[in-house]
Amino acid sequence: MWLLVKEWRELLVSRSWWVLLIAMGPLVGVSFISSVRTYAEVSGLHGTAAGVGEALSPLIGVWAPTFSACELAAVFLLPFVAIRLVSGDHQSGALKLEMQQALPAFSRVAVKGVVALAGWLIAMAPPLSSILLWKSYGGIVYAPEMASLVGGHVLNAALTIGLGAAAASIAENPSTAAILTLSFTIGTWIMNFFGAIQGGWWERAAGYTPAAMVAEFQHGLVRLDTVLIGAVLVMTGLAIAAIWMRLGVRVSRRGMESVAVCVLSAGAILVCTLIRPSWDLSESRGNSFARTDERALRSIPAPLRIEVHLAPEDPRRIDLEHRALSKLRRIMPKLRVDYISSTSIGLFEQTSAGYGEIRYFLGGKSTMSRATTAEGVLESIYSLTGVIPPNESDGDIFRGHPLAVQPAGAAAVFYGVWPAIVLLSGVLVRRRLR
Amino acid sequence: MLFEVNGLSKRFGQIVALRDVSFQVRAGEILGLIGPNGAGKTTLFECMAGVLPCDSGGLRGVRHRSSVLFYVPDGIAPWPEQPLGWTLDYTVGFFRGRAALRDEVISQLNLSELLRQPIGTLSKGQRKRALLAIGLLTPQDTLLIDEPFDGLDLRQMRDVGEALRTHAVRGRTLFLSIHQIADAARVCDRFVLLSNGRVCGEGTVPELAALAGGNSQNLEEVFLALT
Repeated sequence: MWLLVKEWRELLVSRSWWVLLIAMGPLVGVSFISSVRTYAEVSGLHGTAAGVGEALSPLIGVWAPTFSACELAAVFLLPFVAIRLVSGDHQSGALKLEMQQALPAFSRVAVKGVVALAGWLIAMAPPLSSILLWKSYGGIVYAPEMASLVGGHVLNAALTIGLGAAAASIAENPSTAAILTLSFTIGTWIMNFFGAIQGGWWERAAGYTPAAMVAEFQHGLVRLDTVLIGAVLVMTGLAIAAIWMRLGVRVSRRGMESVAVCVLSAGAILVCTLIRPSWDLSESRGNSFARTDERALRSIPAPLRIEVHLAPEDPRRIDLEHRALSKLRRIMPKLRVDYISSTSIGLFEQTSAGYGEIRYFLGGKSTMSRATTAEGVLESIYSLTGVIPPNESDGDIFRGHPLAVQPAGAAAVFYGVWPAIVLLSGVLVRRRLR
Repeated sequence: MLFEVNGLSKRFGQIVALRDVSFQVRAGEILGLIGPNGAGKTTLFECMAGVLPCDSGGLRGVRHRSSVLFYVPDGIAPWPEQPLGWTLDYTVGFFRGRAALRDEVISQLNLSELLRQPIGTLSKGQRKRALLAIGLLTPQDTLLIDEPFDGLDLRQMRDVGEALRTHAVRGRTLFLSIHQIADAARVCDRFVLLSNGRVCGEGTVPELAALAGGNSQNLEEVFLALT
C-alpha cells in the first residue's frame, strides 16, 4: 500500500505526466474538430443510402480519428512517463534504499505499471469528454464499439508502459531508455512496412505490432489472440524491467534471465496465434459478412483452400484481404489461404499466366475468379460448394448515422478549459503534496 | 559476535576493489571502517548490503540480509520531489520501521524545520541528516552508514555523533564508513582499517597500536603505520 501511495505521489510530481495531460487537450481537439466537420460535410451530401452508411459510421468517421490522438500520445509522450517512474528511483538512489525491503522486484515494477496506467486513464479524459460533446450535438454513441476503441488504446498504453519500464530498467539513464523505446517503436513500423511488401511471416508478425492492434480495435474488432498477445508482451516488458531492476545480481545472470523470459514469451505468443475467437463490436458489422451469409458459410463442412495469385503490394490483394478474407477467417477457422507471387509489387507479373487469379479448392472441386470484393468471393464459394446464396435481409444493412453539425464549443473545451484545468490542478496538487 | 564478513572479494574488470576482506561485527558496537579515498569502503558496504554482487566470500551468520542489515548510501537524494516529513513516514510505513522513534530522531538530527521541504531542495548537510534519519527509522538492528559526517559542520557532527551513540547504547549496531580518521576516533568503539581493498587491521585503538608495534595511541599514526 505504501509503495502504491509513493508511486502515485511520484506520478503527481512528474512533469512528463503533466505535459502529457496538457498535450492531450489540443491533440484531441484538432482531431475531433476536423473529423466532426468532415463527418458533417459527408452527412450533408446525400444521407443514408446503403453504401454511404459505412462512411457515416461514427466509429470510423469520428471516433477512430479522435482517439488517434491517444496513439500519438502513447508513442511520443507516455514512454517518458513510464521511464521517469522507473529510472527516477535509479537516478535519485532511492532504489538502493527500497531494494533492501524484501519485496519481489516484479511486484515493485507492477505497482509502477498500475500507477502509470492509472495516469494514462486520466489522460484519456479529453477523448472521453468528446463523447459527451458528440452526444450533446445529437450524435449516436454505440457503446460496444466505443468499449472496443477505448480498450484498444488502454492495451496500447499498457504495451508502451511495459516497453518503457523495460528500457528504463535496462538502460538506467532516461535518455538512453527514451532512445531504446523510440527505436523499438520505429522497429515495429519497419516491420509493418516489410509486412506490406514481403507478405508471408512478416505480414503475420506485423499483425501483432501495436499500430496493427490498435487499428483492429479502431474498427470494432476484438480478437482474443491479439488481446492475449498484448497481455503477454506487457508482462514480458514488466518481467524484464523487474530482472534489471534488482541490484546485486550479475549482468550475465540478468541477461540469461531476460533471454529465458523472451523465449517463454515467444512460446506463449506462438500458442496465442492459434487462438481464433473474435468479436465484431462495430455497429456497422464492418468486420463481418451479413448474418445470413455467416450462417451459410458455417454450414460448409470441408476445409476450404484459397490460392491467391497476387503480389503483396498489389492493391487488389489488400482489398481482398480486408474486404473478404479477414471476414472469412473469422467464420471458417480451418480456412487456408496461400498467397503466390514471385515479386513484391506484381508490376511485371501482370502478363504472367494466372496472375490475378483467385482459385478456390474444396473437397476435390475447384473454381477460379478474379473478383476481390466480398460479394465476388462469396459468389465463388457458393458456386463451388453448391450452397444457395441467402437472401440479403434488410435488417443486416447498416444505414449509418449522418449528422451535419458543427463542433460547437469543442475548441473552447480542448484548447482552453482542459489546459486551464490541468494547469490549476498541477499547482494545487503540488501545494497539497507539501 | 553479530556476524562475520568472510573472504569477501570484488573486482571491477582488471581493478581489484576488495581482496579477501574478513572481519567481525559485534552487537551494539559502533564499528568504524576507515581508509583513504579509493580504499574500497563504499564497495565493501554495497557488497555487504547486496547492492553489488560479490565475486567471492560474503556474510557469515546472516540468514536473511534484509532482516539484519540496512545500508544508508552516501551522496543520494532519494525521492527528491517528496517532502522530508512524508519520506520519514514512508520509511516507517514501507520498511515497517520504528514509528515510535520518529519524533525523537527528528529532534536529535534537528530536522523539524525541514519537514515540508522536498529532499531535492535540501543542502548537502541537511540531506545527510535526512538520510541518517531514514536509516535510524528502519527496523534492522545493524546500520551500515556510508560517510555519516560528510557535509556536516562541527556542531552538527557532534550532535550526530551523540545521536548515533544513543542508538548504539540501546542495542543498535552501527558500522560507519569514515575517511576522516579524526572523526572516526571520536565516535567509534572499534575500527576496521581498509587500504587498497585489503583489511590492514581490526580492533580498538590499543589493539591496533599493538598490532602496529608502536607506542602511539593516536589512530592517525596507527593507521599510517599499518597501511
